[in-house]
Amino acid sequence: MIKRILLPAASLALALAAFPAAAKGDPENGKALFYTCTGCHGIVDYKNAYPTYRVPKIGGQNEGYLIAALTAYKKGERKHPTMRAQAESFSDQEIADIAAYLSSLKTAK
Amino acid sequence: MTMIRTIAALSLLALATPALAAAPKGNIAAGQEKSKTCAACHGPTGNESLDPSYPKLAGQYPEYLAKALRDYKSGERQNAVMAGFAGALSDEDIDDLSAYFGAQEGDIHDLSKVDER
Repeated sequence: MIKRILLPAASLALALAAFPAAAKGDPENGKALFYTCTGCHGIVDYKNAYPTYRVPKIGGQNEGYLIAALTAYKKGERKHPTMRAQAESFSDQEIADIAAYLSSLKTAK
Repeated sequence: MTMIRTIAALSLLALATPALAAAPKGNIAAGQEKSKTCAACHGPTGNESLDPSYPKLAGQYPEYLAKALRDYKSGERQNAVMAGFAGALSDEDIDDLSAYFGAQEGDIHDLSKVDER
């Protein structure tokens, strides 16, 4: 009888522990997804055409900020056309993956 | 003769002007003075964020930082916290702060050497 209660309880505990991990970013998948980003963010001093400014450095940026930025582009709250198109093509999980990967990149010393 | 000299001098000036305009805007020292408020959340050099949802600023391109601040100020980019701070900044303040944070050493980098990491 006790076993019958304990087993489901243990399963539930395992399931709950696994759930937050699923929502987290997978840097390996992020690495596969980020290749497109290097077209602009991978070139030193690369400039946005108009208005003219250098596209931001994003390697080593904070994970939570990268998620917020990509999500804001996806929703259209941030209006850069190229970034909006890119972000719209990613699911929330893919955005988390890219953020996990980019934030894991350390500066070469 | 004088006319030619004048024209030559004016031409040189015209050539020199775009070069001047391309020089970095903003005063780093003045920016540091104005950065105390920013430091509360972004850290003294902009590299130590209070929360992971705040960006690292240290070493970011100054004109990108300036664009971000101007967009917060105009409402083009919406963030309740940053709208309040950016709204109080003059154009000169924005250039000075951007110059200061852009000149700091930090973690962020472009992705040009990403394969070597």
